[in-house]
Amino acid sequence: MILDAQGIEMSYGALKVLHGVSLQAEEGRTLAIIGPNGAGKTTLFKVLTGERLPSAGTVRFRGEDVTTLPAFRRARLGFGRTFQVARIFSELDLMANVVIPIEARIRAGGGSAGPRWRWTPMPEVRAEAEGILERLGFARSRWEDEAQFLSHGDRKRLEFCVALATRPGILMLDEPTAGMSPSDRREMTRFLARLKTETGITIVMTEHDMDLIFELADTLMVLNYGEVIAAGEPSQVRDDPLVKKVYLGHGAQHA
Amino acid sequence: MKLAGHLALAVLLAVFLLAPFIVHPGLVFIAGFAMIQIVFALSWNILFSYAGLVSFGHAAFFGIGAYLSAAALRYGWNVSFLLIPPASFALGAFAAFLVAIVVLRRANGIQFSVLTLALSQLVVVLIGYSPYLGHDEGISAIPRPVINLGIATLNLANPLANYYFVIGVGLVTILLIWLVVHGPLGRTMQAVRIDPERAAFVGIDVWRLRVASFTLSGGFAAVGGSLLAPWAQIVHPDYVNWLASAQPIFATLLGGVGHFWGPVVGVLGLAGLNYFTRTFVGISEIVVGASLLVVVLVAPQGILGALRKAARKRKAAAGAHP
Ligand SMILES: Nc1ncnc2c1ncn2[C@@H]1O[C@H](COP(=O)(O)OP(=O)(O)OP(=O)(O)O)[C@@H](O)[C@H]1O
Ligand SMILES: [Mg+2]
Repeated sequence: MILDAQGIEMSYGALKVLHGVSLQAEEGRTLAIIGPNGAGKTTLFKVLTGERLPSAGTVRFRGEDVTTLPAFRRARLGFGRTFQVARIFSELDLMANVVIPIEARIRAGGGSAGPRWRWTPMPEVRAEAEGILERLGFARSRWEDEAQFLSHGDRKRLEFCVALATRPGILMLDEPTAGMSPSDRREMTRFLARLKTETGITIVMTEHDMDLIFELADTLMVLNYGEVIAAGEPSQVRDDPLVKKVYLGHGAQHA
Repeated sequence: MKLAGHLALAVLLAVFLLAPFIVHPGLVFIAGFAMIQIVFALSWNILFSYAGLVSFGHAAFFGIGAYLSAAALRYGWNVSFLLIPPASFALGAFAAFLVAIVVLRRANGIQFSVLTLALSQLVVVLIGYSPYLGHDEGISAIPRPVINLGIATLNLANPLANYYFVIGVGLVTILLIWLVVHGPLGRTMQAVRIDPERAAFVGIDVWRLRVASFTLSGGFAAVGGSLLAPWAQIVHPDYVNWLASAQPIFATLLGGVGHFWGPVVGVLGLAGLNYFTRTFVGISEIVVGASLLVVVLVAPQGILGALRKAARKRKAAAGAHP
């Protein structure tokens, strides 16, 4: 079990959002979390990645208790994260966006990101960044463009590059296709499927796009008002009457 | 635009290097002074435009260098003056490090800025109590040193030698600052400024990065200060108080926020304004203040920001009608 969370509770002030949520992610598999808007999916992500402390419960990563570990330490352990609304270093160019996490990773690992007087990235850093950008379909001619002028879908893809550049052991994706055009969605789905088979990376994601979920998820978990109401094989969960009632009934419009 | 920028820089460098041969001594004095202010403003801008921290009390670190250097010369310390700028860096950096680990632990944003201001005013008060540092009058009649370079000696009593010493140390410091903010550390600073939370999620220790940035910035500010003693021959608390701390802020706002060279343009602009209004006693401050107001209202991105915008527009227009 690479990620194991038990009994997570969390409130925003007086509003209790998570009521004892437990989840397990198995190495190399994809866990999808679905649930209506406001169910607490993003909040659960915040607790798992170290953005917020839970009021109760534990989070273990590869057996180690990381419940109170700050976000940057979790990132160094191998948590890669993307946000529901993509967060990138918008005033910098695409290349810098990817170089920064690579250099941070090298330095955190005790390595050197190059002598202080050297201002261009080390050749191997640059090569790795180029590989990642190419893999996500960013043409060479765009590498020096400022990230703030990217389209919505491209921002999501660039954020994905940023997350991959940390060489994560687990990818935490909060709605990776939110707001994307249908063609961008299909492309992202294909990319994630390829990433999964090629690298065997563990993925935990929330998503409203049912096509994507049934294509990628090995396990499906349904969250409703901060409680897990069903979990298991995606096809079984889909046929659960309670799930149908609270989510899939109207979620079908999303898909 | 890039070419124009490089060209402007080359011209500026030439003007600084040739100043003693092309302008009268009054302007040479202003040029040396501008170089000192440029180093100070650039050190502040490491925090503002790169790491995303605003210091309202940066003159305290400038003052550490200025008083260290003034005391060394005035009281005839038995050390080569060549060691004073590096020693100022070390002392300024150390003081900044202490401030950072105490203040940044609890506060950032505006609270942090106000605390730096309070601490710097405390430094002014402490100087006022110290006979060694000359109370409120400061240290004056500072002699200019003779520097033994092994193969030759550099006597700063000679105006030319003095000028080139200040310019030389200034240029080396500018180069060092440039390298720091354009390298891996500078990239990390920018990531933290743009989105500290995002930076943490790629494994950047935001607190440590901020402490490191503040430490470096304090060190470079002190190097700028260390040049003041041989140049102006007087160092007093006015160089340390809040008005002095405001100078790099004005320079950066005027020159262009978010540009490495913004503070340079700003310092030169302010120096120019001061020079041309010097004969109107009392009006000088008003003119400087009014110009700043105009810039902030008309071109909030400062002079370089406005130039870049104009260049982009021209390029876009040229692209539309080739
Ligand atoms: N920062 C916050 N402060 C207060 N309440 C919040 C905050 N963020 C979220 N909430 C509330 O907590 C609940 C859960 O929100 P959360 O964002 O986790 O839901 P979600 O499942 O991710 O929804 P969506 O599908 O819309 O992304 C909602 O009722 C929301 O209004
Ligand atoms: Mg959400």
